[in-house]
Amino acid sequence: MRSWRHSAAYRIAFAYFGAYAAGLALLGAVIFAVMHVSLGRQLDSVVLDESQTLADEYRSGGNRELGEAIAERESSGSATRMLYAVFAPDGRRLYGSFPAARPPQAGMQEIRFNDPREGPDLARGTALDLSPTERLVVAVDSDWIERVEQTVLIVFGTAFFGACLLGLAGAVILGGYLKRRLRSISRSAEAIIGGDIRRRMPVGHRRDEFDELAETLNRMLDRIEGLLENLRQVSSDIAHDLRTPLSRLRTRLEKGNLEGPGTGDGVLEDAIRRVDEVLSLFAAILRIAEVEAGETRGFFAPVDLSALVTELAESFAPSFEDEDRVLLWSVEAGIELEGDRELLAQAFINLLENTQRHTPAGSVVRLTLVSAGDRACVQVVDNGPGVPKGDLGRILKRFARLESARNTDGYGLGLSLVSAVAKLHGGHLILRDAEPGLSATIELPRKSKTAHRSLQSKDKEAAE
Amino acid sequence: MRILIAEDDDETAEFVRRGLVELGHNVVLASNGADALHLLLVDQFDIAIVDRMLPRLDGLTALQRVRAGKVETPVLLLTALGRIQDRVDGLEAGADDYLVKPFAFSELAARVNALARRKPLQPQPTSLEHGGIVLDLLRRQVSRDSKPVILQPREFRILEELMREAGKVVTRTMLLERVWNYHFDPQTNIVDTHISRLRAKLNEGGKADAIETVRGAGYRMADDA
Repeated sequence: MRSWRHSAAYRIAFAYFGAYAAGLALLGAVIFAVMHVSLGRQLDSVVLDESQTLADEYRSGGNRELGEAIAERESSGSATRMLYAVFAPDGRRLYGSFPAARPPQAGMQEIRFNDPREGPDLARGTALDLSPTERLVVAVDSDWIERVEQTVLIVFGTAFFGACLLGLAGAVILGGYLKRRLRSISRSAEAIIGGDIRRRMPVGHRRDEFDELAETLNRMLDRIEGLLENLRQVSSDIAHDLRTPLSRLRTRLEKGNLEGPGTGDGVLEDAIRRVDEVLSLFAAILRIAEVEAGETRGFFAPVDLSALVTELAESFAPSFEDEDRVLLWSVEAGIELEGDRELLAQAFINLLENTQRHTPAGSVVRLTLVSAGDRACVQVVDNGPGVPKGDLGRILKRFARLESARNTDGYGLGLSLVSAVAKLHGGHLILRDAEPGLSATIELPRKSKTAHRSLQSKDKEAAE
Repeated sequence: MRILIAEDDDETAEFVRRGLVELGHNVVLASNGADALHLLLVDQFDIAIVDRMLPRLDGLTALQRVRAGKVETPVLLLTALGRIQDRVDGLEAGADDYLVKPFAFSELAARVNALARRKPLQPQPTSLEHGGIVLDLLRRQVSRDSKPVILQPREFRILEELMREAGKVVTRTMLLERVWNYHFDPQTNIVDTHISRLRAKLNEGGKADAIETVRGAGYRMADDA
């Protein structure tokens, strides 16, 4: 019982059936009412016609003609049994056999009479004064109409009952069908919850709404599975990347322990350095997660990009120089955008650091900031060994490191942070082959201030 | 100095306490937020080191109530949370400085020293002097032994920070925060590069090293320079 009441499929099917039955009943009632009225009118006009005909007989042939006409009609016994009578003013019946209880008033009316076969009965009739002493009454027994109406009711009732049975069966079938389709989706979902992550919703060949829904759900599941796979990959990468510095640390500590006191200083310092390395790896992972979650968007403020890039270039030029590289920069003045100054700085620093880490001494690195339409482009181009074209997409991934970079520092997180920061600002990171070298461009949209403010006020409204 | 440490992790509290006592400070420990709030409201401290997450009353709320009680004791907030939002929350609650765990003790000590010197109504000096080096803050000029030294703006700012702390250690992180306004660790050597340039310019002509590198901690102005 519970399953019936709580099933939307059955509720819909039965509501539909209820409306269908109610409509059918209403249609029947209307037809019946119209039929009833029109039958009554038809009967009235027959009675009136007949009374007019008899009045004409009376006018052309007088009492005798009338009496004959009435006698002839009464003896013929037609289907619509007409009743005739002519009354004298004192209520005496002069002609005809209509056993009216008493002489009726003039005009159309229900007349009570005593049917010799059925007892007291009602007839529909009219009275017409032929002369001051003779009143003609023509009537029809209402039985006839009642019989017709009864037949119609029986026929209609049977049809209605049949239609309802059909409708009910339809509702049960429809409800069951809907329920079955929904349950197949829900069963798959249950299986997925139960751990069968590769299970998918069954998609039929009819391409109906259910199949569409199932396909959408399947695409969602694909995406979730991809994200899970990514998460699994990242976790195992983290575990793997942590093993290297931690096992080095362990070796150093063990060696220090064996060498005994006195040699401890250098060992401890080295150990702290290695622990710091691990901690900064964690910090970088958390920072990327924070940026990718978009939580920091609340701290967006106008950033003078031109000043920021110039400052970075000036800060880094000495360090490039010390390592026998050249940093050249060209910065277009007056470029501003809404953003997080520190994250942008960190992204640019990561790009500059990458060139320091992955190019040989003597390389030239160019840092440029230009505006292109409604976008600001920060570009870092080096003339080092570059990245093979096939690997350009891969190195954006977390922990991705090229074979050639296996023995350099770093954990392959730099570019994923750059990419995450660019996305946070509505832009993106583009890596190209600079032939030779690598060109990294961060494209950032320069939203007009008014647009951004209206966006903020919208957010505020939504928050309220 | 009289310092309150509000920290629920016994090991960290003891580590910080011992370090600060060795530096000659008088340390009081509180292991939960309610005690810390009570002590800060009824007692006098020069500095409070408050952990962000404390039992009974979290550090952030305790800090807000302390500030609501018009107690202006400088507060250094400690936290295991390194998100940008967390730093902003901490400063908004009334913290004067913010340090993410785990930290080096030298970093904590340097920040405690810096906070202690942050007196609100101290008149801003127009020039700083240390061992023959004069920094003119108005003209943005530097001289050593009366001979002018030409510095880049960022080198000037680094020297200014070192001279303001007058012989106390300034850490790399503090320089990144104050000179570059970076509240993250960029994992670069830009501070070291700038220090080495600054040092070369100050020491030109074979003079004694004006800037001392404190291993594992940071830099300070050399006493005998």
